[in-house]
Amino acid sequence: MAKVLIVDDAAFMRMMLKNILMKGGHEVIGEAENGLDAIEKYKNLQPEVVTMDITMPVMEGIEAVRHIKEFDPNAKILMCSAMGQQLMIIQAIEAGAIDFIVKPFQEERVLESVRKVLSN
Amino acid sequence: METLEAVTDIILETLLTSVRQVIPVPAAAQIPEVFQNSVAQSDIGVLVGFTGDLYGRIVIQGPSEVFGKIGETMFGMPLEGEMLHSFVGELANMVAGNTSTLMSSKGQTIDITPPTVMVGHLQLYGIEQGISVTVHLENAGEINIILLTQH
Repeated sequence: MAKVLIVDDAAFMRMMLKNILMKGGHEVIGEAENGLDAIEKYKNLQPEVVTMDITMPVMEGIEAVRHIKEFDPNAKILMCSAMGQQLMIIQAIEAGAIDFIVKPFQEERVLESVRKVLSN
Repeated sequence: METLEAVTDIILETLLTSVRQVIPVPAAAQIPEVFQNSVAQSDIGVLVGFTGDLYGRIVIQGPSEVFGKIGETMFGMPLEGEMLHSFVGELANMVAGNTSTLMSSKGQTIDITPPTVMVGHLQLYGIEQGISVTVHLENAGEINIILLTQH
């Protein structure tokens, strides 16, 4: 079971992810609305796993992954985005993300990805 | 080189494919209508811009009840108020993101902007030309998919 930080600009998506993660026995210790907010909350909360959206205002998700990995090279981040093209996935993985979920997602896919990220 | 009309047709076709892929109910699209000047909205709409190889905007609009039924179908819970508005934004994000993904397989690299949700009666101006398609979603109702392309 992991302490998770959810990063998504949509309150609806944060609620959905929170419900899924809690049903899976995880603890959601924080939520962030954009990449900049995510970096601050990562430093303050030190979550074990981060779910990261890509298209967000202020700072997009892949840039936030780079900053978080600079701060903590061991950060475990899974991308959760509507943008599923190969180039985007490659950029996210190169930035340091461990897994990539394309929205809309199934509950089990999210929990499976968290397990994968935790075992990495 | 493809004409703007040909590219617009490809995006529109891809957009409708995305609507069918993202919203898990049978969907029937009516004949697209070309319009000029402005877009009118009476309840809820959402606008997403796309950039990269192609520039333009996508608007998805419809009645609150229809979006509420779509949300319930997709995520199993009734939605209202702020959470419904947030869902409408996320729905457009998923449709536009899926469109971007499908377009990349056709050799076009496009990125999308965060969605802007618009609530209530309003009119969008500054539109040279657009294409509107009404899509009937089984057991939910009708939404309008609008494509605004730019040179």
